[in-house]
Amino acid sequence: MIRTALRYHIPDDLDEATALLHTHQERTAVLGGGTVLVPSLTRGERDLDHVIDLRRLGLGEVSSTADGVRIGASASYAQLLAAAPFTGATRLLQLAAEGITGGPQIRCQGTICGSAAYANPSSDVPAVLVALEAVIHLRGPEKSRTVPAEAFFLDAFTVDVRRGELLTGVAVPPRSACVGYYKLKLAEGSWPIATASAVLPDTGDSLIGATVTLGAVSARPLRLDLDSLLDGHGRLPTAGDIDDWVSGQLGEPWDDELAPGDYRRMVAGVVLRRALQRAQGN
Amino acid sequence: MSHIQPTATPLEGAVPARELSMTVNGRFLKVRCEDRHLLVEVLREQLRLKGTHIGCLNGDCGACTVELNGQPVKSCLVLAPAAEGTEITTLEGVALDGELGPLQMAFWDNDGFQCGFCVPGQIFAARQLLASSTDPTDAEIRAAIAGNICRCTSYQTIVESVRAAAAASRAVPDEAEKGT
Repeated sequence: MIRTALRYHIPDDLDEATALLHTHQERTAVLGGGTVLVPSLTRGERDLDHVIDLRRLGLGEVSSTADGVRIGASASYAQLLAAAPFTGATRLLQLAAEGITGGPQIRCQGTICGSAAYANPSSDVPAVLVALEAVIHLRGPEKSRTVPAEAFFLDAFTVDVRRGELLTGVAVPPRSACVGYYKLKLAEGSWPIATASAVLPDTGDSLIGATVTLGAVSARPLRLDLDSLLDGHGRLPTAGDIDDWVSGQLGEPWDDELAPGDYRRMVAGVVLRRALQRAQGN
Repeated sequence: MSHIQPTATPLEGAVPARELSMTVNGRFLKVRCEDRHLLVEVLREQLRLKGTHIGCLNGDCGACTVELNGQPVKSCLVLAPAAEGTEITTLEGVALDGELGPLQMAFWDNDGFQCGFCVPGQIFAARQLLASSTDPTDAEIRAAIAGNICRCTSYQTIVESVRAAAAASRAVPDEAEKGT
């Protein structure tokens, strides 16, 4: 049982939601899918007076058009997977959603936007959004603003959300590319230890212009431009050279109960190479 | 419509509370709950539907799985007030007129039930899978039940049970439509 005297709010519009957030900021949390917030309340890790449910705000959309993909704050992973297959780089969203830990129940409950707002380094979504150059949409009491995903993830569990703001959705621009996603976890129920989102130009065999964004290996997603790694023909060096290069790019690796930082540094290159292989096969 | 009084002991002080309306196993109900109650707590303690189990309270084990508006969810992750106006099916609602449904019978026949604690998650996960596929591969079955932890490690017989249920549904198409 949750031991604090929590008050549940379900506002009917964004103005009401942001006013509630602004009023109770320090003692309030936004309830999206609930997969992280609710158990943290049950465990007593968070001591809140208010939760604000987004369900009536009309933020449940998943749309894919020529302008890209838009995902509302309340849209679940299951909605993303139920949509028609995305094209180009945006396909990466569905590749990552397929493997979200926790089985179909969590995919029916959890949300892309909730995961973005939580910004757990050991998770799938932050690095995928950075890889796709997604834009985060925020709504505050007085105005809306957008933040590129690269700038949104400030540190582990820390995002660029200001007082009274809530995340209303993400937009992913269209881009012609081949994509591959690889995730390392040591048990089915585990959060990821390392992820890699490969985005390759879809013209010819050259990898010039390719990027791989690593997740779960550092506090923030790490987007790597592969150009400096390639030879004059746009080809990769040996696996050992790739792994050494990746290790050198990593800086201070993320360290948590899932795996020590040294382990993440060792596997980062392997995970990157496997994502590249998958992208080249797509 | 039924109006069910809470059986839990009220806590000291002013705790936000409300009347909650929802349809559970086809029956429209109103119950009183505190805002901080979890859906699993309301189902078990107030509606006395003990087929929904409390395991980890962390979204890991799947023992508290129910269907909410037709989708399997872990009810320990749902604040009870968020269930307002929803349609919920618990494990008790899967049995047809008090008799085990075809999927449950397949678990029974193939020793898919051992201690039975993880049954809600396994049954609802299998039910969702079989609603979309009448001939799933073992890999698809394993992926479908991945959100559930069986402490008896009976996974192989659970896979066999789901496979048998799928075969039975192909033999009797009406049963597949029932998805149970």
